[in-house]
Formats: sequence, C-alpha cells, structure tokens
Amino acid sequence: MARNSPDQDLQGLSRLGDGSRHDRLHLRLILGIGLRCLHLLKPVQRHVILLFAGFSGLSLLLLPIGLLFIDTLWTRVLQGNPMLEIEAWFFRVPIEAATSSAGFDAELRRHVAEKLVLWGVLLSAILTPPFIGLYYYQIWILQRVNQKLRVDLLSHFQSLSLRFHAEVAVGDAVYRLTQDSAMVTQLVQVLVLTPFTAIPQFLYSVVVIGLFAPMLGLVLLGVLIPSLALGWWFSQRMRTRFRSARETNAALTSRIQETLAGIKVIKAYGAEPIEQAAFEDASHRAFATAFQARNLYAVFGMTMFWTFGAFALFITALGTIEVMQKTELAATALGFTLWNLGLYNYFKARLGGSVESLKDLFRTWGRAQDIAIGLDRVFEVMDHEPEIRDDPDALALAGVQRGISFENVSFGYHADQPIFERVSLSARIGTITAIVGPTGSGKSTLMALLLRLFDPSSGRIVIDGLDLKTIQTASLRDHVSIALQENILFGNTIRENIRFAEPEASDSAVQEAARIAAADGFIERLPDGYETLLGERGSKLSTGQRQRLSIARAIIKDAPILILDEPTAALDAVTEQRVLQNLAEWGRNRAIFIITHRLSTVRRADQVAFLGGGTLAEVGSHEELMARPDGAYRALVEAEGGAAP
Amino acid sequence: MTTPSPHQESTDLDSGQTLRVIGRALRFVEPFRGQFMVKVGLLLLSLLPMLMLPWPIKIIIDNVIEGHPIDEPIRPYPELVAPLLNALAAYSPFELLFVVIAFQTTLFVLIGAFGTSGSEGETAESYLASGYDTASRTENEANAGFSLTGGLLGLFDFRWTMRLTQALNHHYRTRLFDRIQTLPMTAFDDERIGDAVYRVMYDTPSITDACYRMLLTPIAAPIHILLTVSILGALYGDHPGLVYAALAFLPIALLSSLPLAGAARRMSGRSRQAGATATATAEEGMSNILAVQSLGGEERQRDRYERDSWQSFSRYRDVFRIGIYAVLLAGLPSLAVGGYAYFVAIDGVIAGELSRGDFGLLITYFFQIMASSQMLGALWYRVQASAAGLNRVFFLMDLPGETDRPGGVELPVIRQGVEVQNVEFSYPDRTAVLRNLSLKARIGQMVALVGPAGAGKTTLAYLLPRFVSPQRGQVRIDGQDIASVRLGSLRDQIAFVFQETVLFDATIEENIRLGKSDASDDAVREAARRAGASEFIEKLPQGYATPLGRAGSKLSVGQRQRLSLARALVRDARILILDEPTSALDPATEARFVSTLRDLSRDRIVIIIAHRLSTIRTADEILFVQDGKVLEQGSHEALVALPHGAYRNFVELQGGA
Repeated sequence: MARNSPDQDLQGLSRLGDGSRHDRLHLRLILGIGLRCLHLLKPVQRHVILLFAGFSGLSLLLLPIGLLFIDTLWTRVLQGNPMLEIEAWFFRVPIEAATSSAGFDAELRRHVAEKLVLWGVLLSAILTPPFIGLYYYQIWILQRVNQKLRVDLLSHFQSLSLRFHAEVAVGDAVYRLTQDSAMVTQLVQVLVLTPFTAIPQFLYSVVVIGLFAPMLGLVLLGVLIPSLALGWWFSQRMRTRFRSARETNAALTSRIQETLAGIKVIKAYGAEPIEQAAFEDASHRAFATAFQARNLYAVFGMTMFWTFGAFALFITALGTIEVMQKTELAATALGFTLWNLGLYNYFKARLGGSVESLKDLFRTWGRAQDIAIGLDRVFEVMDHEPEIRDDPDALALAGVQRGISFENVSFGYHADQPIFERVSLSARIGTITAIVGPTGSGKSTLMALLLRLFDPSSGRIVIDGLDLKTIQTASLRDHVSIALQENILFGNTIRENIRFAEPEASDSAVQEAARIAAADGFIERLPDGYETLLGERGSKLSTGQRQRLSIARAIIKDAPILILDEPTAALDAVTEQRVLQNLAEWGRNRAIFIITHRLSTVRRADQVAFLGGGTLAEVGSHEELMARPDGAYRALVEAEGGAAP
Repeated sequence: MTTPSPHQESTDLDSGQTLRVIGRALRFVEPFRGQFMVKVGLLLLSLLPMLMLPWPIKIIIDNVIEGHPIDEPIRPYPELVAPLLNALAAYSPFELLFVVIAFQTTLFVLIGAFGTSGSEGETAESYLASGYDTASRTENEANAGFSLTGGLLGLFDFRWTMRLTQALNHHYRTRLFDRIQTLPMTAFDDERIGDAVYRVMYDTPSITDACYRMLLTPIAAPIHILLTVSILGALYGDHPGLVYAALAFLPIALLSSLPLAGAARRMSGRSRQAGATATATAEEGMSNILAVQSLGGEERQRDRYERDSWQSFSRYRDVFRIGIYAVLLAGLPSLAVGGYAYFVAIDGVIAGELSRGDFGLLITYFFQIMASSQMLGALWYRVQASAAGLNRVFFLMDLPGETDRPGGVELPVIRQGVEVQNVEFSYPDRTAVLRNLSLKARIGQMVALVGPAGAGKTTLAYLLPRFVSPQRGQVRIDGQDIASVRLGSLRDQIAFVFQETVLFDATIEENIRLGKSDASDDAVREAARRAGASEFIEKLPQGYATPLGRAGSKLSVGQRQRLSLARALVRDARILILDEPTSALDPATEARFVSTLRDLSRDRIVIIIAHRLSTIRTADEILFVQDGKVLEQGSHEALVALPHGAYRNFVELQGGA
C-alpha cells in the first residue's frame, strides 16, 4: 500500500516537514537550540563545571610539560646540545654539568634519556586513568541530561491530545524519543568542550608560532578566512540533507511498527509481498538519504583539511627555512634565542596541533548541523501546545455528590463536520445511563468529552455545578473511570494490568475487582494466575477475557463516575448477566454510563439516551421510549429481534 | 506450536557458538564478494602511503635541517632506493626542501596526509554524533564508510565502503524483515513490536563491524605488521631490541583482551536487551495513548519509561567500562614496551649509530605497528559486541516460520467444503484449547460458532487459514489436508475479519483494497456498500481518498468494523470467516449486513463467531462450543427445542426466546 509520505504523516506538527524542501535552520536558530538546551544542563551544572575543570586542569598541566619533554629529547639528548637550566632542574640532573657543552657528555645524555623515558612512561600511566575516569564521568552526566529530555518528551507526548496522536506515526515518536533526543548528549561537546579546547589550542599555537616568527603566526591565523567561507557554504546544504536522513529513518521505523501492529491482517490477506516491497523501498530510501548526507559531510571534512593542509605545508616550508638558517627568534624566553631542532619539532607539533584543533572544530561544526536538526525534531514536539490545559486557578475535584450534566454540547473533530450538536443530558449519582444509537453517532466521543480528552466546540459539561474546564484535568480523570471498547492491555502481568490506573492497589483489591468483572474464574485457572505475563502470549486470552480485565481495571479505580464502552459485546450471555449483576450492586452510589447495543444490558438502565441523527434524539426509561410508536429506540429494539415481553 | 518466547532467549554464547554466529553473518557478504574484493584492494593500496609517510620526516631532519649530504647517510639505505638517492644527491638542502614539499603536496592531495611529523592526516569518514546508548550508536555502523587515507583516494575508498556497508545492511535487514513476516502470528503480540523494531533497526548493523573486522583485519593487519617489521629488520637489524619490541605489541594485545571477551559479549547483549525494553515501553505507550490518557496512566507510563530508559543507559555504561579495562590492560604493557623501544633508539642516536631522522622514522613506525597489533590482537575481543547483536537477529530468523514446509501443492478453487477432524490444540504451556473437535461446512452454508468467552471459537477459526496448526487431527478442504497445500493458495481463498479491527495509515480506499490489490473502483464501492460503510464514507469531504491517520484512529470503532468487513467482501473469497464482526454495529446496520451474508453464503462458506442472537439465528448450522468441544450442533430451531440445552439457555439469557 502506498502509505502516506512522512511529510503528510506529520501534519500534526505545525513546524514540521519543511526541512527536506527548504532550510529553515540558520545560524541564529542553531545557537537558539543550543541556548535552549542549556537549561537541561542546569540539574547537572555542578558536574559539568567539575568535569570541565578536570579536563582543562589536566590539559594545562600537559602543555608546558610537553614542551620540556620534546625539547629535552630532540635538542638535548638526541642532538647533544647542553640542557637549559629549567630542563636540568626539571629532570633532576646536576645543573652545572648538564648546561655546559663539556659536561653534557654521552653518559649524562644517556642518563637524561633514561629519566626522560621513565618519566614519560610513568606520566602516561598515571595520567591515563584520570583522563578515562573523566570521560566516564562525562558519559554519566550526559546520560542524565539525555534521560531527562527523553522523559520530558514522553510526558509531553502523553499530554498532547488524541487528535495530535492520530496524525503522528508511532514509529516517528519512537525515533524522536530514542535517536533525536540522544543528540543532546553531544551538546556539551559542541557548545562547550570542543570550542573551549580547540579555540584556545589554536590561538595558543598562533601565539607560540608568532613568538618564533610573527609572519608565520599571521599566515596561520589567515587560514580562518577561507575556512569560515567554506564552512558557511557547506552548512546549509548539510542541514537539508541531515533532515532528510532523519525523516526517512523515522519513516522506516514507522513502517516496521505499523506492519507488525497489523500483521494479522497482512497475513490473512497475503499482503506480505506488498509490505516487503514497501519495507525494502523505505529501507533503500533511508540509506540513500543517509549516503547523500554523510557523503557531503565527508567531502566537507576533506575540503577543510585540504585548506588547512595547504596553509600548514606553506608554513612548514617557511619554518624549515628559518631553522636551516638558524634565524633568531622574534621573542626570546626561557633561554631560547635561535631556531633549533627541538624548537623546530615543537613548532611542527604546534602547527600540527593547530591543524588538529581546526579539524576538530570544523568537524564538530558539521556534526552540530545534524545535532541541531535532531534536537529541533525534539523541540517541535515540545513546542506543540497541549489542546487541553489546566486553567491556572483550576480546582481539584473532591468527590462527586450530585451528578453530571451535558448542557447543549456540540462537537466535531473538524469544525465543519459536527458529529453531534446541542446534546443535553443529566445523570445523577446512583443511576445507570445507557447510551445507544447507530454506529458513528458519537457515543464514545460523548464520553471522551466527559474525560476531557477533547473539549466541546460549544456548550459545557458540568459536574456538581462545576464546569469541567475549571477542574484540574488530573483530578477529573481520577474521578472518572472507563472500560474502553477496545481492550487495550499492556505487556505486563494480569495483576499489573488490573491495577494500571491504581498502582497502589492491594492484592485483595485486585481480586475483588476481578470478581466483580467476573474475571476471577479464568484468571485462577491460568497456571500463573494473576502473575501471568500478558505480553508473552496476550493472544492466549480471548477477547471476552480481555474485556473483563479491562472492566476490572476500571472498577479498581473506585471512581464515582464509571463509563463502560460496549463492555459486554464480546461476552456470552451468562457472563454478561453476572457482570451486570455485580456492577449494579457495586455501583449503587456512582453514576454509571454504559454504551451498548445489547438489549439485555439496556434494560437494566435507569435511563436510556438515544444518540442519532447528529443529536440526542430520545431520552427516557426503556418503557417510556418503547411507548413511542415511531420512536427510533423502539425501532432499534425491534430490529434486535427482541420485542419487549 | 513450540514458538520460543523471547524470555527463553539466552543472552550468552560460548566461544564455539560465537564463532558459528559470526561465520553465519559472513555468509551474508557472499552476494557482495566482488565489491568486497575491491575494498580489500583499496585497503592494501592505502597501506603503501602509511609505509612511505615517515620518510620525508627523516630526509627533512637529516638532510635538510642538519644538512647531511643525502648520498652519505649515517646508515646505508636499501639498494632499492639507491637510484632515487642519487637523483636527490644533486640538490642543495634548500632545493631538497622544495622537492620534499612538492612530494608532500602531491601526497596530501592524493591521500590527504603530508607527514610533517607523521601524525597529521585526514582519513575520509563521516561518523556523525551519537548518544551514549547502544541504539543511537548503531546508525553510524549501518552507514559506516571509512578509509585509512584521505584525499582523493580516501574519498573514493570511503564512498565505496559506505555503499558496500549500506548494501550489506540493507540485504541483512530486509532478510530479517522478510523472516519476521513469515512468523506465525501468534508469535506476535503487543510486547514484541518494540523489541522487533529494535532488532531490525539497531541489532542488524552489528553485521558491519563483524564482517569488516573478520574479513579485513586478518588480511591488512598482518601484512602491515610484516612489511613494517621487515623494513625495521632490514634497516635496523643491528638493533635487535627494536625488532623484538615491535613484535611484542601483538601478544600483549592478544593476551590482555582475551579475558575480557566473555564480559564484552554479555554486557553488549544486556545493553541491547535493555534498549529493546525501553523501545518497547515507548512504542506500547504511544500505540495505546487512548488507554493511557483515559485511564490516567500517564504517570505510570512515564515512570516505567524512566526506569527502562535509565536501565538502558546504565547497561551502556557497563559496556563502556569493559572497554576501559581493555584499554588499561593492553595500554600499560604497551607503554612499557614503547618506552623500551624509545630508549634503545635514543641510545643508538647517542652512540652515533642512528641519525635523528632515523629516530623520527622509528617512532612513526612504532605507532603504526602498535595500532595494527592492537587491531589484530583485540580482534576476538572487539567482535564480541557484534556477536551479541547478531545473535539477537539470528534468534528471530531461526524461529520456526509458517511457510517453511517445503513443497506443498496448489489448492484448487474450493468446490465442496471444509472438514475439521478430531483436532486438538494447546498452547506451549499445555493449556488445552481445542479437544478432539470436529466440524463440517459445505459451500452454500452459513455456520455460526457460539459459546462462552474463552471456549476456543477464535482458535478454531484460526485453523482454517492455518494461522495455527493442530497438534492432532486434520483440517481438510475438498478432501485435501491443508497441512500439505501451499500456504498462499490456501489464504487466497479465505477472507478473515478479526475481532479487533486493524487499519493502516493509508486512505480508506487503500485499506479496503488490501483485501484484493487489483480490485476495481466499482468493486471497492460495492464492497463498502454491502458492508454498510458507503454512507459514512461518502459523507467525508475526501470520500474514499480520506487518509485514516494512525491505525484508523479518526473513525469510531463501528466505522472501523465496517471497513474491515468491506475489506473482506472485496476479496470475493470462497470461505469468509468473521470473528464477532458486528459487535459494535447498531442493530439496523447489523440486520442489513446479516442479510448480505446470507446472500454471500449461497456460493461460499460463511463461518461467523457471534454472541448476538440476531446474527446467529439465521445460520444454517449453529455449533455451540464450550471448553474446546462442540457441545451442541444444529439449526436454531432444532437447538432451541432441546429441553435443557446449553444453546437454549444462552438464548433465554439474551432475552429473546
């Protein structure tokens, strides 16, 4: 089947889906995303500072030591030039002997070499664990940041309305939760660690080389001009491709999820080859876009490197000439006055270091484009305002004493297509209201309004005189319990499924709820009883059994308002009667709504509300409605084949 | 059926099993062996620059900076390069500098390295940012492109490699997806979807690492080590300490990584398992958002996800920790060896036996040998993480599929009827569902299955399209045992409507046409009309072209039920099976639909599972099923006439005697 393209899938996200067509992320927006993520770092602020202090402390320590080691090795030990005082002091050798040409003989050189190697090995051995430790620490910190973003994103997804969820593929949501959110872990790297280490390193190299020969330092600084221009040119193109790559991969995830969710029908209708072809196509597209994105990124890296390299070679050539001619240094310090082999090697090391840091910086800049795209996909969900939001001064509901009334309630998913209009209906505590009517007349939707899954387009719903909109949603939903038409169970034990909405419920409460729902019998016959894992073989439960579990789940909540949406459609008559009998006893001081087609169920109701023709057509008791000669309800009962006895 | 559940999956392998798993993965390279050979060639080609790179360093130091004449080296060069040296000897140090720089520029355009100190080079790659959990790191694996060199050669190599990686991964994951689709549908319930998504998306990329490591490293690394050590031996054989030190890296890497192999595999397996659980939790919550919101389960789902997600992060840290131990175990002895080599080389320079250029050259070679040795020595250890991922993929591939029975004859168009003979069926935990049950239905009949919930009605219906196979007894169609027919030819003749409606995120028309992909527009509309769906469809602004959104969530349950009915009707199959097709339909729609069914049953078999009397009473034959057995059988009138019959009792409770 030609499913919707990813773009269409995501109409629900207003800012979404334009990435593959034109680039909407500019430098400013990328920085904005970065700044926005800073607040995510707040909870781990202390750790980040500590980490940064650790890294920079170690690096600062190593810079001067590195200079001493390289110079001692090359200029002194290998070439045999006398040591500088500071080097002799550092390596604890007799200063007078070591700093004079005569005293610094082969034996002393060998002695220094021994120390040099020994210290080098020791220093590496000692410093490696702290570096690794810091890196491990960094992972732990960033995982916490990622965890927070994931959980926040999930919470936000859950707060968005069903209307939103109807438009967004599950696989896309999973991709955003798992892959896109992971980009936040790289943020510290991109915003803090790389710039704060690479830029100073580069500048340090410029200064050091500048001190040797100012001209060379300037040339090195000049590399920035072409680099920045190239970086600008590439970034915009990379973003567009990174976005496509993420979208096609999310679409592939959705494809797998949807196929598996619908595997029954696919098998029954032999649609496997079609699904397979569609999967291969989606997989191919995901790879093709990834190729384009990554290829451009690699070309970007190589182009930047060629630029740096051209400069570096040029500077090396100039520097080599300096050392060949033993030119005087521009600035003399630490006793160095002339270019020598040690300084030359240090100069090359610094030059190499500056190329490395630039490479690092621009590679990171390239990756940052992808990271920003990933985080942007997270934030566009986070920015989606939930349709149902609590008023700041919304009240908590404390019990329901009187009842519920719908006052002139109209609703439609789209403004121009009302499902029903001007529905008025009251239900007192202690009564059972049966809601009947043709398919698609909005029975379940009317109940969804009571749960405030949607708000009515006009009219209002009132509980004990309070408009729903003035009640905190969480507190409202605590007072309303529902057994859904589709018996959705979770991959967990039967016990956990029953107490899904009431995690604190005791085992005896679970059993009592199962008893009322007439589910205790079959549960106890299962080898593992209440501990039976449903995910493992949910298919083993028949629909009727699942239905009773979902009724038990509604009962255990012990809410004053209970909604049963076609609770007994899949139950046989005996079980149905038992459940209804139990419910009637249990529900004496509650308001119960039952959506049903079954006459045997309807008869037990105190009032029957017939929803049809886009409004509430009839309300009254079974007898009253049956007394209407041309009544819609009467016609329905007669069609069911059971004329009232 | 003996479908193993994921909970029976063992997360660990012994070494023999690991080898077999990897061997099996390598066979997936077979279709791409030509491309792979090219990659091997490119790899070997890129070793050359690595061997050449240190030489400019030596020349610059010895002959340019220190000004030694190039044809009077402290140590003799190999005979082979004598002509080159003679050519260079004519140059002054200054000119020599330009020759070297020109050489480096060429190298740097071609292979992206210029070897001023041997380390600055760019290798072509495109690793993008990933997070700190196993799943988010796999995207780089699935698209891995790499080269030892940069420059033009590197870019070509990189692109070649990425194409090869992607082709391999595409091949592997489409095979897995294909296998998943052939698994019996009872193997799939809600919990496994997230897990399967994880396996297809995040476990399959393990093949990249396994194949490259196992196929490239054993070729490239020994050649590289051998070449480098031979050069060292030829040039510096009088300092045997250097050669021995160079050879010492390999055993160190090997010995230090062996003890960690098992732990690496187990940790990677656990990390993947934890990641799959977190994915499954997210998938389940998103799929069932209606239940979560209306039952007030947001907090619970969030807590569950928080726990599972953190678990997957923690497991990833375990994987990382094993990596730290590996670095420390191999790193410290290597450091000592490196220190020793440094000292020998320095000693040689002080004694005047080696030039300072030689020293620079030696150091560069040592770093290279160390890297290659570690690649080779830690091969077994490194491949463990991939083995854990591969094992999860093969586990799913190895579950018994439905279409595995070889052969199978085509089932001709059904002319007579179906016969279920003495079937027994129980679940893996030996809960019996069907006990010695028999049933007959002829073309032209409408048969109703009635009975309490959990009696086995749905399982019985599943037998006909072979969604499940009985442990004993047979199902025959026109006298032919369906166990021996080709599955496709059987299912082509059956239309099944499930209790839970399943719609896809496509248009209404496409959803109906899933029943028969070549159905004409008229046929689609006719089926919708007969299923009572045409009225509401035509009222929609986009009509049949209306996209349904996720799982048809924009429609009411009754409307969805009617679309599934239309899908079954458009199939025009010889056997129509309906599992509670009308539970959410209003009586008027239902009555119309039942009369449609009566029409249809004239030249078909219609089997319907229902609780509603109005649906059942019109059937030619009613089977009352209880505890996996047929208790009563006959027409409505005949069964109601039985004085204390179970069916009669059932009818009375429904309130319509």
